[in-house]
Amino acid sequence: MANLYGKSTRSSAFSWFLHRITGTFLVFMLITHFWVQHFDHSTATITTSVVAEGALPTYSDAAGEAVRATPRGAAVAQVTPYDVVMARLAHPVYAVLWKGFNIFFLIFALHHGFYGLNNVLGDYIRNDMARVVTYAVSWSIALVLLVVGVYSVVTAGIGYTGV
Amino acid sequence: MAIETVERVRPQPILKYKVRSGMFAWIAHRLSGVALVVYIILHVWGLRSLSDPESFNHLIVKYHAPVFKIGEFLLLAAVVYHSLNGLRIVLIDFLGWSPNQKKLFWTLFVTAAVIIVVGGYPSIYALATYFGR
Repeated sequence: MANLYGKSTRSSAFSWFLHRITGTFLVFMLITHFWVQHFDHSTATITTSVVAEGALPTYSDAAGEAVRATPRGAAVAQVTPYDVVMARLAHPVYAVLWKGFNIFFLIFALHHGFYGLNNVLGDYIRNDMARVVTYAVSWSIALVLLVVGVYSVVTAGIGYTGV
Repeated sequence: MAIETVERVRPQPILKYKVRSGMFAWIAHRLSGVALVVYIILHVWGLRSLSDPESFNHLIVKYHAPVFKIGEFLLLAAVVYHSLNGLRIVLIDFLGWSPNQKKLFWTLFVTAAVIIVVGGYPSIYALATYFGR
């Protein structure tokens, strides 16, 4: 890349290799993520009955039990999607596991996505300077998203007092 | 000796792709990849509401609107295709399965179709229920 503006001495082979590794990991991480968010019987957030009713989805008794099972949980109240997510992210033990998982997932997904996007953009932007600027902008967006994402995940659940 | 040195070169149209399975796989992988980057930007940006119950629940309600059911279906299709074709690329690059790449493509095509139809059914069903009532 960028022959006019300084030659890169680094081969891109490592990034190419990493792209395949992160991709393979992402398939399995995504299955886990999707299963936990949408299919687990006690925490599923998608139901067919709530489309465009403008109301929060309702949850099974199992979901209420799962939320109340968190040590910080208190009284019985209407369970909302937020409470369901907090059953993982405000839990004293599971939170560490899920936050760790989410941070790795975020790093892998952002690297894979933006490296791939840059590959695509680099194929069509033939002007060296324009390409360098595009890569810089693209990685900056990825960095902002990483900071926002990690901050959101780490701080989630702090101060949550249960339903 | 008169040697015909001038080759007759017919001007070729610039874009003369023959869209066979390999080319289709490549184009679809690019398009789904770019779409998924757009999705991840929205998704990660939405994570900011994780510390605020009110805005989080509000976001979930918005995400249940009918238009997002179509989005859900397209997202599933993009993810499933991109994953399976990505695995095909890994098998070709790392295990030297390129002689089988066509068979691999049709295998992933059928597998993807089944997963998309079965997995996307709830979204489409919810949409049909909404418009049918």
